[in-house]
Amino acid sequence: MAVMDFAGGSAPAAPRDRLHGARRMHLVLGLVLAAASLASLGVGATDVSLWDVAGKLLRAEPLSQLERVVLVDIRLPRLAMGIAVGGALAVSGAVMQGLFRNPLADPGLVGVGAGAGLGAITMIVLGAMLPAAIIDSVGNHLVPLGAFFGGWGSTLVLYRVSTRHGRTSVATMLLAGIALGALAGAVSGILVYMADDQQLRDLTFWGLGSLAGASWAKVAAALPLIAAALAASLFMGRGLNGLALGEATAAHIGIPVQRLKSAAILAVAGATGAAVAVSGGIGFIGIVVPHLLRLGTGPDHRALLPNAALLGATLLILADIVSRTIIAPAELPIGIVTAVMGAPVFLWILLRRRGLVDL
Amino acid sequence: MPRLFLLPLKSLAASVSVLAFGLALAVLPGGARDAEAVEDDLRVLSIGGSVTEIVYALGQGDRLVARDTTSSFPPEAVALPDVGYIRALSPEGVLSVNPDLIISEEGAGPPEALDVLHAAAIDWVTVPEDPTAEGVAQKIRAVGAALGARDRAEALAATVEADLKAAAAKAAAHDGAPKRVLFILSTQGGRIMASGTGTAAAAIIGLAGGQNAITEFEGYKPLTDEAVSQAAPDVILMMDRGGDHGAADDELFAMPALVTTPAAETRSVIRMDGLYLLGFGPRTAQAVSDLSAHLYGG
Amino acid sequence: MLEARNITVSLGGRRVLDGIDLVARPGRITAIVGPNGSGKTTLLRALTADVPHSGTVSLNGRDTATARPWELAAIRAVLPQASALAFPFTVIEVVRMGLRSGTSGGREDIAAAALARVGLAEHAHRFFQELSGGEQQRAQLARVLAQVWHPRAHGAPCWLFLDEPVSSLDIGHQIEVMSIARDYAAAGGGVVAVMHDLNLTALFAEKIAVLSEGRMLAFGSPSEVMTDAVLSHAYGCRLRVNTRPDKGVPFLLPHAAAGAGSIPEAAE
Repeated sequence: MAVMDFAGGSAPAAPRDRLHGARRMHLVLGLVLAAASLASLGVGATDVSLWDVAGKLLRAEPLSQLERVVLVDIRLPRLAMGIAVGGALAVSGAVMQGLFRNPLADPGLVGVGAGAGLGAITMIVLGAMLPAAIIDSVGNHLVPLGAFFGGWGSTLVLYRVSTRHGRTSVATMLLAGIALGALAGAVSGILVYMADDQQLRDLTFWGLGSLAGASWAKVAAALPLIAAALAASLFMGRGLNGLALGEATAAHIGIPVQRLKSAAILAVAGATGAAVAVSGGIGFIGIVVPHLLRLGTGPDHRALLPNAALLGATLLILADIVSRTIIAPAELPIGIVTAVMGAPVFLWILLRRRGLVDL
Repeated sequence: MPRLFLLPLKSLAASVSVLAFGLALAVLPGGARDAEAVEDDLRVLSIGGSVTEIVYALGQGDRLVARDTTSSFPPEAVALPDVGYIRALSPEGVLSVNPDLIISEEGAGPPEALDVLHAAAIDWVTVPEDPTAEGVAQKIRAVGAALGARDRAEALAATVEADLKAAAAKAAAHDGAPKRVLFILSTQGGRIMASGTGTAAAAIIGLAGGQNAITEFEGYKPLTDEAVSQAAPDVILMMDRGGDHGAADDELFAMPALVTTPAAETRSVIRMDGLYLLGFGPRTAQAVSDLSAHLYGG
Repeated sequence: MLEARNITVSLGGRRVLDGIDLVARPGRITAIVGPNGSGKTTLLRALTADVPHSGTVSLNGRDTATARPWELAAIRAVLPQASALAFPFTVIEVVRMGLRSGTSGGREDIAAAALARVGLAEHAHRFFQELSGGEQQRAQLARVLAQVWHPRAHGAPCWLFLDEPVSSLDIGHQIEVMSIARDYAAAGGGVVAVMHDLNLTALFAEKIAVLSEGRMLAFGSPSEVMTDAVLSHAYGCRLRVNTRPDKGVPFLLPHAAAGAGSIPEAAE
């Protein structure tokens, strides 16, 4: 039943729709990611050239062993892991920020970071004490597995602590996350005390993050989780928009808030846990990428989340190119590169758009 | 969290610094340069400071195409491409120097990088680590075997082992009571990270006729101030990082932990290059003599 | 029809609402008034299923305790008393958040029309946080209107639940907003509003529920409940109600409260 008198007043068409602009960015960012991926495959310490390899493939000539190892065993899994980890970190950051209604929120807040760190450190220091059967069966994946289960487990604990009568209190979760982080830090400290010199250095390098350990086995382990989490995040856009108005209002506009919160927390735990497990601690992507996008194309999560995945993947690949070429044949831990690139950009944004960032 | 622990480690890495050239030449066995001719064009990557030293001491330095970050001696080695830290090798970085043979100390990594390098069918030799005279000789023999220079290695191993034992015996025969030596890895943030038992530092202190002031734990650990006072070291041993030692000493002995120790009273601190002191390679006999001379004089 | 039966709410061990029955029909504005702490807002939150409560609330015959959020969102919208916004959304983007969940899903022009209805059309592309408090309140009202734009959908009424909708508005916008609510009701929708201003309430509401200490003190038309006795009891001070002779609408001047001053009493 149309009520014309009620709908009175002029109804100007929206001249500038940021959502449409943000959705057009999918294509732009997709192309940039494709270009960055090609660059990543083409650049490295060895002089294996993508061009030559493409030519050989076209002419059906066999590749040299070096070309095969460099492309198939080193650069390709590294690229795949970079895309997955960059996308996971950026989307996890965006989802957490939406969930906590705070532009500075970070997966670390829900204990994923602390738990994953503790898991990894435990495996680095105490892994050798495990029964040989376990060590043999998981091989080199002891530390990634420790990180993943540490992150996942601590998130579940926090989730249980902060959920009463079927309602999750985001504020309780934040506080419990800080407490659990402190506890994990303390236990990590004890383990560090027990660590020998070599283990200490491993801890340092793990904390700085790297894609140097990329392998197809790791890609196969992390990708399904990250892909599932990213796919789930595509359905959270409207819900996270609603949460920006507060939980009660979100429910009033028809969003199943509790279901959204559970899904978001589990997706972040899965994606971040998997990402941290295979690449160590890589900072800044989760904060800088969503922020850049909000300033550029607006805060609408329906476009923000896919854009964050694309931009996060692109930035991590570019950072990785820098990390493995700038001091070649050695390699700079990528966490250093993202921090060095990210921190000044972040400060510049804050200075330039001071008024709006406060919002 | 792990980032917090970066600082002491960073300083450890930084301490692997440039060395005195004269000392280097003195240690090199005569004629090492014109030893067994290099018959092939085997491309060798050396990982680990002591391994690189041994390769040069065996006269095989020309075969090296790259080194790792800890290989800071001899000076020629520093000119080689650096493939990164032994525990954090980049597989493509290693492949880019196109080695046929990699000789490495124990503990190279990460495992994924090793997997890729094995897939690339590069020969990999891991040299055993043991901070004793026999251990150094074993290391030299292993490197020599990998390079096909067994005879040369046997001769060098025998010389080094004998020199080291002689140096240790001489050091042990010093006059007076053995000095209590505290090896300090770092003093980052006012916390003293010192060596317990089972480390290269503990081994070299023992060989030089000193007594490790800390025997309560294994490895390198941070100490409380009171534990340092309790250990009552006569001498502080540190790695040389260059810079103004006078000012550094003032700062060191002003630390509450050290101010009551006998070492502070006599301002006794010995600074030596990290690789020279702890590397357990061809120069270790000289390092033992040096350290002993610092401890007990001439 | 909104039907609440025996609503009891305890918060922190204290009984905030005690056995409230309330029936609100579409086609009119039902106001909830009462002194501070009487449970007005809690009652509204119970009606919108935001606080745990005993008793039943049914909206258009559907039990709100078991209905899905999106099912309820299709037939009722809620304007909160205060609202914060987390990210730099523009005004029109906030209004659009109301869309798609209600009966008018996907109709972009409704967002613009709703904004025009509250007089903020020219502010559509400003940032929500840059608006004044009163403008923010009206923008939120536009979002609420956009959610249930058609007062009747599929033969059933839609509902507006408004928690002090005019609290930060000037007198002109107070009347404008109350007129919007009245128009909505006149077109067949239902409006339930928590009100602070008794005179505005008397002017626009067809039914008034007076709460006092968690209980329903009186329920009825303005002239039925706005009596000296009811209001003096509810607000704990002596109040004198007057009536405009031409329209029969009661009004209240604070000057007429006992001991408020020396202004002569108006003629009865």
